[in-house]
Parts: sequence; structure tokens; C-alpha cells
Amino acid sequence: MMNKRLMVSMLMICAVAMVFPGCRRKRAPGAISLDSNQPSIVQPLDGMGTEGSGAAGSGSLAPRADVFTSGQAVSANLTAILFDFDSAQVADPERSKAEAVAQYLKSNADCVAVLEGNCDERGSAEYNMSLGERRALAVRAYLVTLGVEPARLQTRSFGAEKPIQMGHDEEAWRMNRRVEFAVMK
Amino acid sequence: MMKWMTAGCLAAVCLWSFSGMAQDVIIRKTTASKLTVDLTELRAGGSGGTVFLRTVDEDLRRSGWVVPVRTGAGYSAGGTLAAAGNGLRVPLVIQNSETRQTLFNQNVGIDNADPKRMGHRVSDAILKAVTGRRGMSGCRLVLIGASARGKELFVCDADGGNLSPLTSDGSIVLAPTWGPRGDQILYTSFRRGFADCYLLDLRSGKTHQVAQYSGMNMAGDISPNGQDAALVLSKDGNPELYIKSLSSGALTRMTQTRSVGEASPSWSPDGSQIVYVSDAAGVSSPQLYLISRGGGSRRLTTRGSQNVNPDWGANNLIAYSSRQGGRFALMVYDPALQEHRVIAQDGADYEDPSWAPDGRHIFCTRSEGYRSTIYLLDIMGDPPLKLALPVGNWRSPTCSP
Repeated sequence: MMNKRLMVSMLMICAVAMVFPGCRRKRAPGAISLDSNQPSIVQPLDGMGTEGSGAAGSGSLAPRADVFTSGQAVSANLTAILFDFDSAQVADPERSKAEAVAQYLKSNADCVAVLEGNCDERGSAEYNMSLGERRALAVRAYLVTLGVEPARLQTRSFGAEKPIQMGHDEEAWRMNRRVEFAVMK
Repeated sequence: MMKWMTAGCLAAVCLWSFSGMAQDVIIRKTTASKLTVDLTELRAGGSGGTVFLRTVDEDLRRSGWVVPVRTGAGYSAGGTLAAAGNGLRVPLVIQNSETRQTLFNQNVGIDNADPKRMGHRVSDAILKAVTGRRGMSGCRLVLIGASARGKELFVCDADGGNLSPLTSDGSIVLAPTWGPRGDQILYTSFRRGFADCYLLDLRSGKTHQVAQYSGMNMAGDISPNGQDAALVLSKDGNPELYIKSLSSGALTRMTQTRSVGEASPSWSPDGSQIVYVSDAAGVSSPQLYLISRGGGSRRLTTRGSQNVNPDWGANNLIAYSSRQGGRFALMVYDPALQEHRVIAQDGADYEDPSWAPDGRHIFCTRSEGYRSTIYLLDIMGDPPLKLALPVGNWRSPTCSP
């Protein structure tokens, strides 16, 4: 049998133990794991950009350059392109929006754009990530046919994670199936 | 379709084996057939002791195999909980009440003073001694929870207790999964602005990058031998399935499906195949596919407008979500029998299934009225259990091996 004092101290240790796993240790820049079981390929953080290229096919995305991650945001007021349910096709009525984006990028040669693909809330989160990426890639492909340099276009899927309309109805879903344009320079 | 019991049936009913062993093992399950264990000789004092005893009791009930009773039990478990250094210890004795045979007589201990963790350890020891089966009480879940700054990873025990935050990325996290040794978590985070894939080492607390290519880098699943990660990457212009060696970094592209997308890979227990989601059939709806290590894929599901979130368990069964009649039902597919069956289907959505290591239970997301929480389902028909988590939208539970 344990006495009361022991139980109290046990519970306090327990409380500390519950909090501790949340306090992830601060990592020194460039630190590497000393654990010999650690797979060697995984790279410590703060060493970005080394994996960007690889053996790339003709459709490959350009390596992510710093301007896409740390460039200055530009307010370009470009209209989001909307998509049908479970579709990554740029529908004919939406093409004029893409043409406006191409025109903007041609007129602003110092700007680049991240094409942000989004889905409505329905369905698997992981499948929606792929679907959002395909929407962004479809818009990218169309912009390239309109003469925008591929190196100026990066894609980013948010899947169903960033709805612009919070409702749960057809109108909200329609507005959330979209590709937005984050312009930077 | 099913040689399957319906709830409330008291007659013995044949079920599949789901132990991962021979398919002709027959398990009899009735309400009356659960084994009984007398826990009255299991003793512990104080409020921590109360937590310990309640945890053992609840864990055994949750296991589905055993019911604690006070009289006429087939088995007994006894011992007194005591402090041992900084930890806890019980000299645990488990006996068959009829034969008086001692099935277990060892110290069971943990090196910290957490009576709940200790309860999980003892309940798994009792279950193992009485049934020969591995319990799930000692396993941990990684799951996604909402925070003020986005979505973060959390961990908790199999009953929802001991919840604690694991990441503080301040962005969005997706698709967490455990490495086969239970000491690593592969996941995708937007911590650097794009969907990149990371490996969190739980022992060192360090996070390592696994895939940070242009486009999307979605975490998938680490192979059973811990050598490879199945990922979905869009670096070559379309989301495709890849295998990345975690030792050499070599990347093998597994699919070539221009204009359709892949998602959610899960390795077979022998590491020879991967089940994944694709809409490759051009039917514009996601379905499950199988691909072998050397390439060559085939479609697995044909019914249901969407079949997603596969998890291939160590028991060789594939749990997945199937959209039927506007809702996601929880299904299990047996590759040996080529049979699909419904585990949960009602007015809610059941998604993100993850097998518990007991091969009998499945953790999943259950959503209703745009609120989601974590449930434990029993493929042998015991009622679903809601995990005791704080109010919030919890998703994507993945059980440690």
C-alpha cells in the first residue's frame, strides 16, 4: 500500500510526464541526429533546396527557388479559377480568368506565382491533397501554353484544409473548389 | 455474403480468423463466451491506485476477450501496486481458477509513476496470459487536432488518455504514420509554407526532412522493415506513387498516371505490395489499387462511389472507407478470401481507419454534423467505443505497431 504523500508525488511526476512530450527540444541549426539507428538519408532541417531537382521529366516542376518561399507578396487581385466536383479540368468558362493571370504575369516580368489548389470539404483529406495539386498543375499547364515561363510558376495544394467559404452547402463547395494565385516578387 | 454474426446473437457463430494465421481457424464468439477474470486480489492505494485499478478493468473490457467479474471467474489476477524507484511495480500472479495452475508470476513495472500507463501494461499482461493474445492497451495513437494556429499532431493512449501535443509547427499537418519500431512518425507539414514530408524521431525529439521536392510531398507509409517510405510526390508534374529508400535516398517511381492522382499508400505486412488510392480508371472517382514492389498494379474495389484511406494491417486485412449512399462506411477487405465486408455504417462518416496491433480493433475518425472524433471499432461486433478525448475536431488516428 502506498501512503498519501507518495501518491501525490507520483501524480505530480505523472503530470510532468504528460506535459513533457509536447515540449519538443529546440534543435540547433544544422544539428544531426546522433542516433545510429537513424536513417542516413533524412536530412536535418535548415538545409533546404538540395532535393529540389532530381531526375526530372519534361513535365517536372522547377526547383523551388527562394522567391516562392520568401518573396514579397504582391496584391494582384487575380480571380480564382473554379472547378467541377472531383475534376481537375480547367472548364471553358474559367479560361478567361487564366488568360488574365497570364497577361498579368507577362506585364509584370519581375513577379512569380504560386498556384494554390483547393478542394471542397467532402472526401478523403489525402485524396483531396492530390486533387488540389492536380488542379494547380492543370492551371499551370494552361498558363504555360499561354506563354508564361514554367520557372515562374510553382504549385501548392491545400487540399480541403483552407476553405474560403465556411458553409456546408453546394454554393460553399463550389467556391472552395478553386485555384488561387499568390503573386510574389 | 457474410458468415457473420449479427449483434445480440447468443448462439455460437463461426467467424473468419483475423489472427493473421491459418484461414481455417474458427473463433466462437457469443456474449456468454468471454473469459472471466477476478481482479479482487489486484490491489493499489490512493487516488493513483484507483486510476490504476479502473484502467485495468476498462482495458480488459475494451479488449473484447475478457470480462472482469467478482465471483465464479475462470481466472484470477492479483498483486499489490507499489512504488519502485521512480517507477511502479506489481508482482503479478495470474491463475486458472479451476486448475489452480499459475499462468504468470512476474514483476510487471514501468520506469515512471504513471498509474494509467501501469494499468495498460498490467491489462495487456493479463490478456496475454489468459488468452495468448497481444493486447492493444499499451499502444499509442498519433492523431491530428486543431489548435489556435492550425492543425498539429498529438499523441494519446489507446483509450484517449494521456493526450499531449507532439508538434508545434504552427501550420497544417497531414497523414501521420508510425515507423515499424514505434519510435518514428512520418508526416506532412506546411511548416515551411509548402507540403513537405518529415520524419519525427520520438527518442531524440528531432525532425528530419524526407521529401521537400517542388510541388506536393505527401507522407504515406514506412515499409515493415523500416527501410523505405511510400510517398506521393508531384515533382514530375503529376501526383504519383514513389518509394524512397530511407538509407540511400534512392527514389523509385511506381506509377505513371498522367492526369490522374494517387494517394494514401499502405504496405502489406510482408512488404511485397502496396495498397493505394487512385482514380486511374478514368471514372473520376478514387478507388483502391494494389501494386507489387516490382510494379504492375490492379484495381481492388469496384463498389462504392469512392474507396479511400486503406490501412493494411499486420493481420493481412485491409481496412478502408467506402462512400455508399452519401456516407463513408468502414469496410474490411480480406485479400485471401477476396471478400469485402461492412464494419460500421450509419448516419455518420467513418474515415481514416488504423488497425490496432490486436488485429481485432480499428481506430477511425467518426464525423457527424461536421464534428469529428475518434472511435474504436470491433470487427467481431462489440459496440463501437468513443475515445475519451477533449471536445474538438480530432482526425486521422494512427495506432503504433
